[in-house]
Amino acid sequence: MLTLLARLFKAINSDASPGQVAFAFALAMIVGFTPFWSFLNLFVLLIVLLVRINISAFLFGAVIFSMVGYLIDPLSASLGETILTNPELRETWTELYQNEWARVSAFNNTIAMGGFVIALILLLPVTIISRLLILQYRHRLLAYVNRLRIVQVLKASKFWALYTTFAG
Amino acid sequence: MIKWIRWWGILGFAAVVALIAALIIVALPFIIKASIEFVGTKVAGAKVTLDDVDVTLSPLGVRLNHLQVADARSPMQNLVEFDEAVADLELAPLLVGKAISNEVSVSNLQFHTERSESGEIIVEVVDEAESKPSLKEQTLEKLPSADEILAKETLKTPQAADDLKATWAARSEEVDAAIGAVPGQAALDNYETEITAITSGRLESLEDFNNRKARLDELKKQFKKDREAIQQARDTVQASRKELSEKLTTLKKAPGEDLTYLKDKYQLSGVGATNLTGLLFGDDAAGWAKEALYWYNRVLPYLESDDDDVAEEQDEKAPRLAGRFVHFPTSDPWPDFMIRRARLTGPFDGGQLVIEGRDITHQQAIIGHPTVFTATGEGLQKIGDLDAKLTLDHVNPKGQDVLTVAISDWKMAPLELGVAGAELASSRVKLNAIATVKNGGVDASADARVSQAKFSGDGQTVFAKELNAALKGITQFKVNAAVGGRIKNPEIKFGSDLDRQINTAISKRLSAKQDELEARLQSRLNAKVAESAGEYADELQALINMEGSLNDKLNSLKDLAGNELESFKAQQEREAKAKVAEEKAAAQAKIEEEKAAAKAKAKAEADAEKERAKNKAKDKLKSLF
Repeated sequence: MLTLLARLFKAINSDASPGQVAFAFALAMIVGFTPFWSFLNLFVLLIVLLVRINISAFLFGAVIFSMVGYLIDPLSASLGETILTNPELRETWTELYQNEWARVSAFNNTIAMGGFVIALILLLPVTIISRLLILQYRHRLLAYVNRLRIVQVLKASKFWALYTTFAG
Repeated sequence: MIKWIRWWGILGFAAVVALIAALIIVALPFIIKASIEFVGTKVAGAKVTLDDVDVTLSPLGVRLNHLQVADARSPMQNLVEFDEAVADLELAPLLVGKAISNEVSVSNLQFHTERSESGEIIVEVVDEAESKPSLKEQTLEKLPSADEILAKETLKTPQAADDLKATWAARSEEVDAAIGAVPGQAALDNYETEITAITSGRLESLEDFNNRKARLDELKKQFKKDREAIQQARDTVQASRKELSEKLTTLKKAPGEDLTYLKDKYQLSGVGATNLTGLLFGDDAAGWAKEALYWYNRVLPYLESDDDDVAEEQDEKAPRLAGRFVHFPTSDPWPDFMIRRARLTGPFDGGQLVIEGRDITHQQAIIGHPTVFTATGEGLQKIGDLDAKLTLDHVNPKGQDVLTVAISDWKMAPLELGVAGAELASSRVKLNAIATVKNGGVDASADARVSQAKFSGDGQTVFAKELNAALKGITQFKVNAAVGGRIKNPEIKFGSDLDRQINTAISKRLSAKQDELEARLQSRLNAKVAESAGEYADELQALINMEGSLNDKLNSLKDLAGNELESFKAQQEREAKAKVAEEKAAAQAKIEEEKAAAKAKAKAEADAEKERAKNKAKDKLKSLF
């Protein structure tokens, strides 16, 4: 976890594209809000590995959003139930249900569907907000943070050693 | 665009997928073995063991080697075992954790085989065997004795006797304690003596008065305490007497109630022991029914999948919610577990038993089909052709299960009638049966045609000879059995033309036996009451006497407490008045005395004058003559 944080700070503090970091962080919502062992998440993993986005931010986001996902499971289940039992969508789902690989994605699970939809809705806003926050952090806070006594203390710690190791 | 792609990521992804796949392939046999043993043990209520599991990748499937299911009621026996089961598995459903097999074949299926070690697991077993005596136990020869019935049954009489005993034990302690606080007769006599001493005699002085007054007040305080103790004791005795009286009444009523209950339970008429068909087939039918119901009740919870079960299943999957799978119409449904076709074969009754199953799943609502089992016997020695079909239909929440059985030529083993040493030595039976279970109720019927019947018996009593004679003329008869009521407490009834033929002869015998049994029971119960009630009736009378004695003591104390000491002044006044009255009386007496003396003197003078006049007159008369 310490290593992961160090890598994340490296990404935030470095010149890594804030868009890549922000998108990776937002993409982790899908993993966090849906059942972990699913083919949907395997697909998300493929995207994360294939597309040049920050893997550390993704892993950090997965940890954070899994905790959030635990809290919003009832909401996800309720939303998924509403979507999957909506009479107007029934024909679509029935058609999709005939494809066994669609079923492998567990789209007909209420939490998988609800969590996925919540993650999709929040994907763009979270990406944008995260990107803005990273930019603001670099622009306004980075120099100030480096001057803080606690940061000075941290710089003398194992955490800083790790940070510098990864920062190269 | 290309700069957005991280090509090595494909290798990384492939490595991750390969790692996961490898882990699953390695772990799958252990997972399957553990799952079958865990779930099987839960369902069977006894150990389910599997030697090992092989997983094949092409085609994807599993092979189960040597599965044994122990019999929970006889742990050193296997209920069923087989050497090998081969099942294919569908890949796609397996990826989402659903085990679906198109075909399962089981070879060398065997029933009731010996085990090398006990298959018992520690579970709470509800012993149902003691609920009712079997039909044969109710027969004439094996009719339980009065002692056996009294020892076996939980009756009101012994309970009431024990209750009375316990009540007396508890109450007698209370009574003893309360009586212990009550003053005895010696104390009362002593009080009386003291009161007399205080209140009698002359008060010599004011100090003497004060001393007596103090002693009297002290005694009155003691009286008050004693009175309270007596009242307390009287209340305790009253309450004890009332309670004991009630218990005694209950005890006296108990034998009548017990006898009514026992007469109902050990009724030897109607569908009881006169039902010879019940005697012939009752225990076997009850055994089969019990076996079938045992397994049905074990399997039933896994067939019913209503909303509550889904909710419970979700709860069990905490800490994170598992969600619910919403299913849509399809020709290829995926329940959590399903075997589309199963074929089990094994040796049975000298031939081969073939059991086939279709759509075996606990989630029939998802597949829209019931689970159907068929069993056919080939080359069976004792039961000819066997055709059985079991349909477990739980597609809808209120399920219905139907079993049909047809046996063409059942060569029955000798059956003891349990009456007068008679037995059905040999017979051929053709049986058709159907049973339906719906909403917890069972409705079953069976028709059997018994032919080539040969009865035998060596009973030497008049009744036995009479019965054997009646039976020997019978070579064929029909038997009808019906099962109704709730599945957990079914009622089995038998009917047969055999019964009608011999009913009269048996009824006479039964009637005599019934009367004899009832008389014995009545006698034993009465003895029990006499034993307990006699002793405690005396105790009750003692309490009543005690209550009277306490009332007497209370009254005595009240009287004693009513004594008062007059004041010293009052005594002086009383004495002064007495003195005046005495003097007045003395003066009066003196006056009376003087009056009397004067009166006597006057009278004496008058008498003397009278005498003188008389003498004078006499003298005059003498002088005349």
